[in-house]
Amino acid sequence: MPYPVFKDNREFIKALEVNNDLVTIQQEVDWDLELGAIVRRVCEKKSASPYFKKIKDYPGFEALGAPLATYKRLAIAMGMNPDASVPEISNEYVRRTTQEPVHPILVEKKKAPCKENIWLNKDADLLKLPGPMVHDGDGGRYLATWHFVVSKDPETASINWGMYRQMVFDEKTMVGPVLPFSDMGKMFYGKYVPKNKPMPFATVIGCDPLSGVAACAPSPIPEDQFAGMLMGRPVELVKCETCDLQVPAHAEIIIEGEVLPNIKIEEAPFGEYTGYRTSPREPRTVYRIKAITFRNNPIMTVSNMGIPTDEGQLLRSFSLGLEMRKLLESQGIPITGVYMLPESTHHLVVVGVKPAYSGIASQIANLVFGSKLSPWFTMVVVVDHETDIYSKDDVIHALCTKCHPSRGIRKYEQAPGTPLYPFADPEERKWSRGSQVLFDCTFPLDWPESDLPIKVSFNNVYPKEVREKVLKNWKSYGFKD
Amino acid sequence: MASKEYDTFILSDLSGVPEDQEMEMILRDLTPTDRRYKYRSFYASAIVSKSESKYPDLLWVRLGRGQLQEKPWSIKIIKEVNKFG
Repeated sequence: MPYPVFKDNREFIKALEVNNDLVTIQQEVDWDLELGAIVRRVCEKKSASPYFKKIKDYPGFEALGAPLATYKRLAIAMGMNPDASVPEISNEYVRRTTQEPVHPILVEKKKAPCKENIWLNKDADLLKLPGPMVHDGDGGRYLATWHFVVSKDPETASINWGMYRQMVFDEKTMVGPVLPFSDMGKMFYGKYVPKNKPMPFATVIGCDPLSGVAACAPSPIPEDQFAGMLMGRPVELVKCETCDLQVPAHAEIIIEGEVLPNIKIEEAPFGEYTGYRTSPREPRTVYRIKAITFRNNPIMTVSNMGIPTDEGQLLRSFSLGLEMRKLLESQGIPITGVYMLPESTHHLVVVGVKPAYSGIASQIANLVFGSKLSPWFTMVVVVDHETDIYSKDDVIHALCTKCHPSRGIRKYEQAPGTPLYPFADPEERKWSRGSQVLFDCTFPLDWPESDLPIKVSFNNVYPKEVREKVLKNWKSYGFKD
Repeated sequence: MASKEYDTFILSDLSGVPEDQEMEMILRDLTPTDRRYKYRSFYASAIVSKSESKYPDLLWVRLGRGQLQEKPWSIKIIKEVNKFG
């Protein structure tokens, strides 16, 4: 069943405007830091998305900033009530993504807006696109901050869409980290590099919002099908100009080329999702381009990684947490939910569980730390079913009162990590080594009932009739809330 | 003609950077004729000096996390080096 979602970025922009979640900026804005500074402030203040109509030096190009940096925008993208709660959005996301995969369909080039303009060979010049200098001190202009890279497994033909940041090096070259445990990393370093073969790629900028969400999701389902599941209808794809990859027909800008197996060049530093500029400038994966295709008056999409909350933090937290929820439910663990706080820059996951047996928190930690999701987070907080996992107040209270400072904390050493961890030492960053920790915030089952601390709250320590009386008379007592 | 300006990232101890010797480095063009090409990177064979006035063009120095050093150096570019054949 199709959901009331958007076929492209332009329909989504209109929906943001209708929902008073868009600021259209008519005055010219400089791609060199000014645009990035606006988007950064928007993320920090949780303001409406900025829609830039005039970009200095680049007439005809526009940009949308912070396209999905709030749950409200995610709800709008999903075609839901903009005021839907996080649990409501989560449940709907899980419902849609546990049904049958929806395969994409191929459309003719003449029906694909992303083919309205085609730059090939010498005309394909990355610096003719308004890639912003996002933060002062970045290693270059990042054309791809809210986008995805399409690649194909040479053996299985499986398609991958993933968000791999890309810095413009020169007219024909982009560079960025492709971590070896990522889907594209396993494909490129495991199957193309050993044969010294370049890997075709296509970077998609300004896609419909749910294709972007799908590209962020660490699901085992190919993202071009996952996006269809979120939309309730097939994604329309079109064939690339220079290779057999397929890209969303309604995207704003497509960059085609090859990932080179035999060379690395320096990339970074960059303001990253952790809120720091952490990973070092070092030799990274090289993309050489062959073609650029784009819609008339293309609209770039620009995310600005930094302190919370940007879309990387919000959507990665959202989808990582929900993939963990699916994993734990598939194993029959009696969880009440999983929530990853965006403010933790998806480093901390909260799992609610009915403590049905001893060691359940360790079992949860072993499962999630043992999954392919694990390099992206470091802390698991397991709380009981009476704790509201979506409430920071509740979770902090449980963490500080139920987690034994010695017995309740278990460390997991020698785990895979990323070079982006601000707390890691230089050697750990260099080798992507991590550590992880479990905070068990459940009371042990072997404590006698008479020894169990009783939570003291309005809902817990007053009889029902007293609570009802207080609630009924609340305003008459003089309270306004 | 006004001097051009470039910048580079130096990942090692600045005191160890050799002066007055030809070396290969990555530069970014900060003052292109066409502003759209600002920050275009390229490999170059060049000679640098920590003196701002010794060579014809200015070189701004950044450390590994982007920290800009207060005073520029100077640079003479010998040639651009093409790494991509």
